[in-house]
Amino acid sequence: MYLVKKDVTAKKAVVLDDMILTKDMPTTAGSKMLEGYMSLFDATVVEKLGVAGFEVAGKANVGEFAIDVMGETSHFGATKDEKGNLSLASAEIVKGGDVKAAIQLDVNGSPRRAAAVNGLVFVKPTYGTVSRFGIVPVACSGECVGVMAKTAEDCEAVLDAISGYDAKDGTSLPEDMIEEAEAIKKVAVVTAFDGSIDADVKADIEAFVKELEAKGVEVVKVDGTGLLAAKTAWNILMSAELCNNVSKYDGVKYGYRSANYTTIDELYTNSRTESFGDLLKTAILFGSETLSDENYMKMYDKSMRVRRVTVDYFDSLFEDVDAVLMPATSKKAYTEDDVKGMAYEENIYTAPASITGLPAVVAKGVQLVGSVFSEKALLELVK
Amino acid sequence: MDIKVLKRLEKLNQLQLTEEQETAFLEFWAKQAKEADAMSEIDTENVERMVHVMPIMTVVREDKVIKNFTRDELQQSAPETNDGYWQVPRLVE
Repeated sequence: MYLVKKDVTAKKAVVLDDMILTKDMPTTAGSKMLEGYMSLFDATVVEKLGVAGFEVAGKANVGEFAIDVMGETSHFGATKDEKGNLSLASAEIVKGGDVKAAIQLDVNGSPRRAAAVNGLVFVKPTYGTVSRFGIVPVACSGECVGVMAKTAEDCEAVLDAISGYDAKDGTSLPEDMIEEAEAIKKVAVVTAFDGSIDADVKADIEAFVKELEAKGVEVVKVDGTGLLAAKTAWNILMSAELCNNVSKYDGVKYGYRSANYTTIDELYTNSRTESFGDLLKTAILFGSETLSDENYMKMYDKSMRVRRVTVDYFDSLFEDVDAVLMPATSKKAYTEDDVKGMAYEENIYTAPASITGLPAVVAKGVQLVGSVFSEKALLELVK
Repeated sequence: MDIKVLKRLEKLNQLQLTEEQETAFLEFWAKQAKEADAMSEIDTENVERMVHVMPIMTVVREDKVIKNFTRDELQQSAPETNDGYWQVPRLVE
């Protein structure tokens, strides 16, 4: 689970996903390409954690560049829970009680899925509220640093510590742009996913609805079909951005270098071919082709327009309700067989919040998505 | 997409797939292309592209020297160096 573990005794210990740069521990992004890579600096979130008195207990294994279902593509092996089901290393470490929280990079929803199947809380804040400086970049237009913990209170405390404007991140939001949302009084349950989720997930949603109603929150139903195209669009944008972001890994300046080359082209090709896994290669080639002359307008350009359509759709929902309740996963447990070929499918539940930058909170097996800057209100709802 | 296009893509991206991986990718591509066809049904004629999800433009920092790393620091994770240079195979005859 831990790729590097430190001896810490502090009550305020946290673990970092291995997508976050640290100068005193290697950062691998779960890839053979970056095995042993040492950063020259700490990510801003690491510095902020230190200022707030948190100690970093180590680095947690992740799927290669964090785009898979739940860590199954890591060069260092998948993480399993006590029943032999797939899990994320961070989730297992949080469950084990070593740390108060895990700091994770949500690129394609894996931390949200891990929280859902493990009964943990994960908050993906509004895009731009937590610095991405010092994160291994994958899909910059949507990826967010978030927090996983056993309770909403712990998530909130750690989120407070890592949030805030950072001049080193060009997408960081100035404090004067941030206006916290009000308390959530009305929630819409999305029914468009009902046909694709297991009975266990449905039961979690029903139980959470009852809990909301008991708290006096009004609950209504909405079909939510306007969210379904987000997956296709996010798959395209994520892959196109990933393709560019990983083009720098060539076996020359840092990272893995093949032993098998005589020319510079062989050095590049063999280093990348030998070190990248199947899913990453697929994502690179797919992303590259969506940017080709033939496909750019139909795929990449269209996806950016569908991103706005999805934002507008959420806005129309938020005219009537304060948050949307939907599943985070199709099932309550994944085996390695379950997730083969599913990284571009299972994200149908997480892509709407990824592509729009909206905050999402997963707790009690369900996902709440709110309007911008509503993360604290969402966390309040799951306490 | 056919194998010829895929081979060109592999070359462009400095990757070399096995035959099995190529078959799997072509199947993957066909599925994604079908989904893109379905997405094209969404009317976006009067919808502007959304590059950033937040209303922020690319930020350019002040043009002044900031802390730089030394050559030794920058080369600490290099696979191979030679006398302070990154070592690569000969590029010209």
